Amino acid sequence: MHNLLSFLFRYGYCFLFVLLEFICLLLLFRFNNYQSGIGFTSANNFVGAVYNVSAEISSFFNLDIINKQLVLRNIELEAENSMLREKLKSVSPDSIVDELHFTLNHQGYGTIPARVVNNTINMQDNYITLDKGTCDGIYPEMGVANGNGIIGIVYMVSDHYSLVISLLNRKSSISCKFKHSDYFGYLRWQNNDSRYAFLEDLPRYAQFQKGDTIVTSGYSAVFPKGLIVGTVDNIADSEDGHSYLLRIRLAADFSCLDNVLVMHNRNCAEQHELESLIK
Amino acid sequence: MLFVFFRRFCWLWILVLIQALILNNIQLFGYATPFLYVYLLLKFNVDTSRYSLLLWGFCLGLAVDIFTNTPGVNAAATVLLAFVCPFLVWLFSPSDSSDNFSPGIRSMGTIPFLKYVVLALLVHQTALFVILTFSFTHFFDLLIRIVSCTLITTLCIWSIENVKR
Repeated sequence: MHNLLSFLFRYGYCFLFVLLEFICLLLLFRFNNYQSGIGFTSANNFVGAVYNVSAEISSFFNLDIINKQLVLRNIELEAENSMLREKLKSVSPDSIVDELHFTLNHQGYGTIPARVVNNTINMQDNYITLDKGTCDGIYPEMGVANGNGIIGIVYMVSDHYSLVISLLNRKSSISCKFKHSDYFGYLRWQNNDSRYAFLEDLPRYAQFQKGDTIVTSGYSAVFPKGLIVGTVDNIADSEDGHSYLLRIRLAADFSCLDNVLVMHNRNCAEQHELESLIK
Repeated sequence: MLFVFFRRFCWLWILVLIQALILNNIQLFGYATPFLYVYLLLKFNVDTSRYSLLLWGFCLGLAVDIFTNTPGVNAAATVLLAFVCPFLVWLFSPSDSSDNFSPGIRSMGTIPFLKYVVLALLVHQTALFVILTFSFTHFFDLLIRIVSCTLITTLCIWSIENVKR
């Protein structure tokens, strides 16, 4: 008995080591389970608050860049505005009302503005934390975009924060198509460069060229149709040779995200209901 | 006793915040990220009980994990480091040293201390990246990451040691 106790006392730390490693692995695998990891991620309130302060400080230093982007965007919109004004003069009142009605009905999306409080781009799987949560009407599987292009999909939400799976994440897979044709593929991220992602499963007979614009296909109801994703940067064959593998230059600059829009589809439930009928 | 605990607790938070808010955003040449937070574990006195070393390691790793959305990854690597740390100190400590000292350039000498740090960091980084990627398909990529992160972290720790002296 005495020997046993002294043995336990001398080597007890080994058992503690095994126990702690076991807890670590448990956490590691539990996190894959949807929603259960909320307490151990940056979507919890305390860590969210810390990142909030940090984001406010860093957004102050980014004001210069954001200002330049806004000026450019302003010029762009100014040009578009004058062009639309020209068009407006040439059409009758009736046709405009019809067109507006059609777009709203067709898209059926509302938007919630939010700010990025934490963002990584150099991990294997990147997540973004936003400062809005269930209290502001954000729920999992809503799309997130900024003025330049799409950014990701909401993954977990707490009361005041939400965690977004960035496009730069191996779990992310978004259905995209060409702006000028309807051939579609899936956008995934493979390597460690935050500027590029890859468009997979594109059929071999699709017609396109370098520099073509890629937009969301709108099939999944997460994103409306036609949001800009990026441009074709390089064309290669997939590993099995049955389809193309395109390197896409992403339109959104993931290294300086600040203001974003979360989109919710008003007809989402209806589409899910209809699609569940065939299962 | 309580004072030591409180001081370590403050250092833990300072290092975790530096790691989460500044160092995790650094990626030299697309690979090297300094993992400075392990410095806390490397500086523990030699006579610290192994139980408390393991528990401190677990808390430190978990705190970093919560900020980087990778629960368990850093914690597992840091607990492993806490487990092998006393052995590594014993390997490189000078034979005429007293029973109780904190590993550092002054107490161990520059070369043995750097050897100790590099070996400890190699253990930590290897565990960290193997758990993080969970595959050996990009083996060469993994190797570059482990070596570059170890080198840059060693450089950080070395410069801090020199400033403190």
